[in-house]
Amino acid sequence: MKVLVCIKSVPAVAGRITLTADARAIDTRHLGFAIGPHEECAVEQAVRIVEAGGGEAVVLTLGPAQALEQLRDALALGIARAIHLVTEGEEWDPESTTAAIVDAIRADEAASGPFDLILLGNEAGDSADYQVAVRLGRALGRPAVTAIKGMTIGEGTVRCEQEVDAGRDVYELRLPAIAAVLEGINLPRFPSVPGRLRAKNKPVEVSQPARPAQRLEMLRLVVPQLPAKQAEVLGRGPEAAPAVVAVLQELGVI
Amino acid sequence: MDAGAIVTVPLFILVLYVFLGAFLLRAAYLVRLVRAGRASNRTGDLPVRTAREVVGVLGQSKLFLRPIPGVMHLLLFWGFLVLLPTIAMSFLGAMNRHWTIPWLGEQGWFVLMVDLFAVGVLVGVAIAFTIRLGLRPVRFVGSYLQVAYNILLFEASITITLFLWHGSQVALGINEFPPEWAPVSNAVAGLLSSAPVPALEGFERGVVWVHALLILAFLVYIPYTKHLHTLVVWFNVFFERTRARGRLEPLVFDDPAVPEDQIRFGLATIADMTWKQMVDDMTCTECGRCQDACPAFFTGKNLSPKLVVMGLRDQLYREGHAMLAAAAGPAGPIFQGQPLVPTAVADDTVWDCVTCGACVRECPVGIEHIDHIVDLRRNLVMVDSRFPAEGATMLRDLERTSNPWGRSQTERTDWAAGLDLRVLEPGDPAPDVLFWVGCAPAFDERARIGAISTARLLKEAGVDFAILGPRESCTGDPARRMGDEYTFQSLARQNVETLGESKITKIVTTCPHCFNTIANEYPDFGGHYEVVHHTQLLAELVRDGRLAPAAGTDGVTYHDSCYLARHNDVRAEPRELVAAVGRPIEMARREERTFCCGAGGAHMWLEERGGQINEERAREATATGAGTLAVACPFCTVMLDDGVQGIGSGLVVKDVATLLVEAVDRGRALPEVRPDP
Amino acid sequence: MATTLVLVTTSAGVADEVALQALALGRRLAAGGPVHALVIADEAAATGLGAWGATEVHLARHAELGSPAPDAVARILHDLALRLEAGIVVGPGTEAGNTILARAAARANLPFAANCVDVTIGDPLTVTRLRWGGSLLEEAAIHAGPAMLTVAPHVIAATPTGGVAAVAPFTPELDEADLAVRVVDRIAAAAGGVTLAEAKVVVSGGRGVGSADGFGPIEELAALLGAAVGCSRAVTISGWRSHTAQVGQTGTKIAPNLYIACGISGATQHMAGAKGAKKLLAVNKDAEAPIMSAADYAVIGDLHQVVPAISAEIRRVRGA
Repeated sequence: MKVLVCIKSVPAVAGRITLTADARAIDTRHLGFAIGPHEECAVEQAVRIVEAGGGEAVVLTLGPAQALEQLRDALALGIARAIHLVTEGEEWDPESTTAAIVDAIRADEAASGPFDLILLGNEAGDSADYQVAVRLGRALGRPAVTAIKGMTIGEGTVRCEQEVDAGRDVYELRLPAIAAVLEGINLPRFPSVPGRLRAKNKPVEVSQPARPAQRLEMLRLVVPQLPAKQAEVLGRGPEAAPAVVAVLQELGVI
Repeated sequence: MDAGAIVTVPLFILVLYVFLGAFLLRAAYLVRLVRAGRASNRTGDLPVRTAREVVGVLGQSKLFLRPIPGVMHLLLFWGFLVLLPTIAMSFLGAMNRHWTIPWLGEQGWFVLMVDLFAVGVLVGVAIAFTIRLGLRPVRFVGSYLQVAYNILLFEASITITLFLWHGSQVALGINEFPPEWAPVSNAVAGLLSSAPVPALEGFERGVVWVHALLILAFLVYIPYTKHLHTLVVWFNVFFERTRARGRLEPLVFDDPAVPEDQIRFGLATIADMTWKQMVDDMTCTECGRCQDACPAFFTGKNLSPKLVVMGLRDQLYREGHAMLAAAAGPAGPIFQGQPLVPTAVADDTVWDCVTCGACVRECPVGIEHIDHIVDLRRNLVMVDSRFPAEGATMLRDLERTSNPWGRSQTERTDWAAGLDLRVLEPGDPAPDVLFWVGCAPAFDERARIGAISTARLLKEAGVDFAILGPRESCTGDPARRMGDEYTFQSLARQNVETLGESKITKIVTTCPHCFNTIANEYPDFGGHYEVVHHTQLLAELVRDGRLAPAAGTDGVTYHDSCYLARHNDVRAEPRELVAAVGRPIEMARREERTFCCGAGGAHMWLEERGGQINEERAREATATGAGTLAVACPFCTVMLDDGVQGIGSGLVVKDVATLLVEAVDRGRALPEVRPDP
Repeated sequence: MATTLVLVTTSAGVADEVALQALALGRRLAAGGPVHALVIADEAAATGLGAWGATEVHLARHAELGSPAPDAVARILHDLALRLEAGIVVGPGTEAGNTILARAAARANLPFAANCVDVTIGDPLTVTRLRWGGSLLEEAAIHAGPAMLTVAPHVIAATPTGGVAAVAPFTPELDEADLAVRVVDRIAAAAGGVTLAEAKVVVSGGRGVGSADGFGPIEELAALLGAAVGCSRAVTISGWRSHTAQVGQTGTKIAPNLYIACGISGATQHMAGAKGAKKLLAVNKDAEAPIMSAADYAVIGDLHQVVPAISAEIRRVRGA
């Protein structure tokens, strides 16, 4: 099987977010980078599929030069090669992102055959636009599902499970298909150091797509001012139990 | 020349050939194993190494950490040394009853020494058996007890047969030595003198052969048992680390000369052992002093440093032949070593270790247990990804956010709010001393109090210092102790670059782990600085009169941090400060014998199975009757405070710096009353 | 005044709460104009929508709409929007709503803004939407019409209007391609337990719990309160609980009346999933943990002692 997984390098935001002076980006001076938890699971899923059924897994990202680090992280887990669509670091809206990825996919498929499965995280860690997977499906004429928590490859098909209140809904798609997965579909492995060392030498194909006009245009970012809360300390240690129960009664919980 | 010599000489030579041959074959195997061991840099510092041999081996210094066993072993050891020439004498005597070592065999002073030291050996054996069979100390649990008894029996029987032989020589009048110089042999001769001469002659021949055969049998027994230590300890102690005890040897991932499949990632199988690790394992006497000192073992966990070393040794011996056969040539069999974890050491045992170093400190034969355990961890973490899951979160956080709690780096200055500290930006002139804050004080509310106190004191004393703020990344100590050498090296290089850019030359830190890593381990990555612990700097300031604490009378007991007192020998300065501000009360387990708080070895982030190390220490501190427990480490602060709360004692845990700043404030409140200079 | 079309997702005769919130947004944006609602197959739910702001309800009925088929719904939505010449199309910012609106936007070759908390009519229309699970807001302009957007859950209140709307059933046009992605099977959930997303009280454990077994007291307290048990990401990564219990940006987003967070430091990732809670009680050893600035009540102490004490006190008060 030939599997593609698409990732997005985002700042490893931990606590307070600080913005650049023009409020159009997060200040990343003291931040590392990572991919979102959904995407970590997508990468793990791609590696597992190829480990189980043979074939090749490829990772792709649209992002600035520093996103190469996240590609190497994915390569360290067992992905065979990477495609880096290099940008200047500006925002690319979902439509232009899709267009750039579609071009790269078509080029790669012309060279070495179609991708049986394209995996993405359900939403990117930062912008969370929830739409690149389905737009890819539309552009490539392939079925796409989102919010997938379980996956089994069959003969020319893939069975995908989605969690709903009553249990799980099951979709069965003919390959080639596209799936956006949720964290929890698997537990991503910890990268091994031999894997990381090998990843340094795995091939990364680089290109520079042109950025079209943005139809969903980010104007500026705002850090929401949450109302400053002063927690009422009900007590210290087990002696606080009566005070807690009084609050529970007050709130109507008991 | 005896008529029988024509038989006894070649017979003895044949016997010698057989036993010596067996000994040499085994010895050759062991030597080949060690030569196949991976590299470990143990050169330099000849004077220190020599001094250690003299004091540690000849002087048996570490053995006296336990006085009575120390005496016992001194008797056996020196008895063995002094009696060495009698081995040659007995071999010669076995071939011909008139043969002995020229000149030495006739010296009265020598035979006196022999008699006295041989009695010493018997006394030593008696003490040993009393301890083993009478007292039955717990430290022997897991050791091969029968082997120990056999060794003692060999020693006793060799000594007794020596007396019987000398005694029968004297009784027959064939002794070359002056008998009045050999009181015991003389006495034995007296007991034998009533026997008829032919019987005595036969007895003398018989007993010297038995004596020689026992010696030869013992010789062969040595390389097959723990008694090998007698031959190997000389090397093991000589090659013990002379550079900082707290420094772990780095792995090299990017040596262009080393092909990828030959990179050493730690200890997976015996083929990964360094020669020093092999010699360590071969030297183990199974004495269990390390086990007794281990805080993990003490609190009911499976980890016993002794059993780790014995397990590794046994697997080395078991698989060594296969490993050597494979190494013999590319056409030969491939070595499929069993993984050391779990074959020699159980999975969770590896993780119980807090790297406190008590085991290394107690070991009389120079074994460095921490190196083994961390190397086992390195392979488990970096290659197998087989380790406690809560550790994965910490390692990922370190990689992504440069601190082990996954917090935002920009929060690293929060603790200093209101203190008006200089935050060093790139391009700023370097301060006299950089205050390296560490992750715990930055992100933990209890740990930060010590840092706040230190900052206030440094300002009060007019020290020119600054902090790095968000540019300070974790030193990487938790990653390295957990075995993730890769993440550690990446953090180390990052920090060395930051420090270099700002041209830092002197660093003070409140955290002993940061202290150890920056002072002892960063030089391997190009980072050379003068590093002091905050207690050292503060003690200097008090001595110089730049800080004036008011003396106090409250009882204060000081807890020595492992990474400070044991790994780095900083013991006096914190005590100076405690004495300056209160009434010191010492715990029994103090200074180099201090008992860990439980946070080391990345245990601040790993779950503890079984009893609590920190509560054990809190109990000990509470028992001193002091009202305050002084610490000099942010980890110890948090762990011991948890411990104190866990056992419900009212002990107040405070960093030495906090006690000092409170005393300085007190001193200021009474301007007329100044402490004597 | 733009014609507004709102996708109202339903289940078993009841409109989804976030869909009603979308309806409220749609009504606000319509500013007096018609508010069209689209309901798939569920007649019982359709009839009540007038009371929540819809002026006309379009009920799509088709033989193939028995099981979820998001591309089909997207097509129905798009075709209806064209038919009604809608200027704004709004959906609920749930997984279901987002995927349908995204597919409709892809079909229609239009931009789509997900999880909006505010919308300003203008030229261009601007939205404020969520990033980082709500820890950051983005102000964006949509440079094409009709505007396709979903509303972030639990930000805008569903408003009862007491109105009445006619329900107009219709049979949409669908073909094979629209039904390529459809549910072919359903696995029933294990019986019992309150679902995390719907629970009115949630008790969670974080890294401070220490082990899988450590969750015993948490489960006990939850049982006494009829609450669901949640956890933080540190817990799921350590394998102590399954991901279904994870509360956070990439887990379940909860909106209980009371959230009791034990041994949870309060990282933004986690709080992004918990901000829907009306009241938050934090149990933590660290009085300066980030969660304290988001908590209404706090108990400073070791959860292993505090939580059982609370359970014991509850039993005592109940006389059990």
